[in-house]
Amino acid sequence: MEIMRGAGFTAGVMLLVTLSLPAAAQNDLSVGRKMLVEDNPGELWIDQGKDLYYQKRGPKKASLEQCDFGMGPGKLEGAAARLPRYFADTDRVEDLESRLLTCMSTLQGFDKNEVAKKAISSPRSRGSDIEALALFITSKSNGMKVNVTLSHQKEYDAYKAGEYLFYRRSGQTDFSCDQCHGEANKRIRLQDLLHMTSAAGAQEVASTWPAYRGAHYVVRTMQWRLNDCVWQMRLPDLKYGTDYSIALTTFLNRRGNDAVIQVPGFKR
Amino acid sequence: MNINKTKWMIFGVAVIVAGCATYPDQATTKLMAEKMVYDAFTFAPEHKKRLDQDRSQQICSKIGDAKLTNEEAAEVVKLARASIKYPASGNLVGNWKEGDKLAHNGAGDRIRNGKVEKRKENGALCQNCHALAPGEINVGNVGPSLTGYGKQRGNSEAIAKYTYEKIYNAWVVFPCSNMPRLGATGHLTPEQITHMVAFLIDPQSPINK
Repeated sequence: MEIMRGAGFTAGVMLLVTLSLPAAAQNDLSVGRKMLVEDNPGELWIDQGKDLYYQKRGPKKASLEQCDFGMGPGKLEGAAARLPRYFADTDRVEDLESRLLTCMSTLQGFDKNEVAKKAISSPRSRGSDIEALALFITSKSNGMKVNVTLSHQKEYDAYKAGEYLFYRRSGQTDFSCDQCHGEANKRIRLQDLLHMTSAAGAQEVASTWPAYRGAHYVVRTMQWRLNDCVWQMRLPDLKYGTDYSIALTTFLNRRGNDAVIQVPGFKR
Repeated sequence: MNINKTKWMIFGVAVIVAGCATYPDQATTKLMAEKMVYDAFTFAPEHKKRLDQDRSQQICSKIGDAKLTNEEAAEVVKLARASIKYPASGNLVGNWKEGDKLAHNGAGDRIRNGKVEKRKENGALCQNCHALAPGEINVGNVGPSLTGYGKQRGNSEAIAKYTYEKIYNAWVVFPCSNMPRLGATGHLTPEQITHMVAFLIDPQSPINK
């Protein structure tokens, strides 16, 4: 207990120190963050997701073991590393979260809209089923390289649409993703912004979600990240699991190929 | 045409259809992506404009390293120039204390679960991207530093006008820059912008200390 407290205290001090040194923020903050990652509370969600995966649930009282995440039903190792990808049964490119929605409705009989409504949990809650499931399934790709390939026409379409959307400016802030994520070493206030048009930045996107979000005390998914961005951009409410999100994720993950997946990530 | 030849032709077509998956062209991409935008959001009719691109936004959404042409840049500047409205009072320099508060306010007008974040007024968002008073730590660096803005430029009428217009529609000076066209998009009112001008050029403002 004392040791943990000590570690937490040191990490806290590290963060405080770095908060007052913006010039050196880059390096010192990353040291502080690394210390936090070593004790990532998000680990707790992996078991929760595992339970949800094997439990017989929903009106059809089925587990998710027959869900095909792209490598065949029940084959989870390395599956998340190749998402988003085209699925013949839905004739659509799906990312992990939209694929989970598909399986939860077709295999388990859940109402898609109901699941989507609860997909993003409240801060300080126990988290949503999808958040835990997405983390469990992605954790089965830990240590493996992101490998999004484009072969089906709809995969090419999603990639290009994602690229277009990344640069599409609208609304009263005139923002697209590129205004904040198009250059290296940028910050919003003290918050570091990922340089997503560089390989390293895209790789961090592709390999660190789902992540434990310190400020919210819950595990967050890529879809949550996108939702929060469009909220700041002053766009209307982004629905869960749309082609818009899937296209952006296809664009970013594809550019993030070769990153080694390590989830849960840790975000401030 | 003999049967064999027809067979080969069918085979050939099949190979082309299966084998030609590739990147869609620009027009097709745009069509698909624009549909995705309107399918992806739930919005009240009055918020559709947050998704619709105006002419300048269309021009300024260059993909990757694509550059603005001179003609496009000129069009954006012309549209920006035409957008600028001045406060009814005619006075472009307001109250720097009001401006200071607004500069550190990043809230207003965000939408969650269909509800618009209602504040007395929208924040001016400056702190998110610009260094402000000397020694101020919690500031972003997406935009250039504004520390000493007025100290360097003075507070002449010409500078006040330039500053007002730059905030009202940044693209009148730098077409397609990252900075929001805060007045032109309606995020800030002309009166609020006069306070921002004062915050930047008043010698008493912390920016110039």
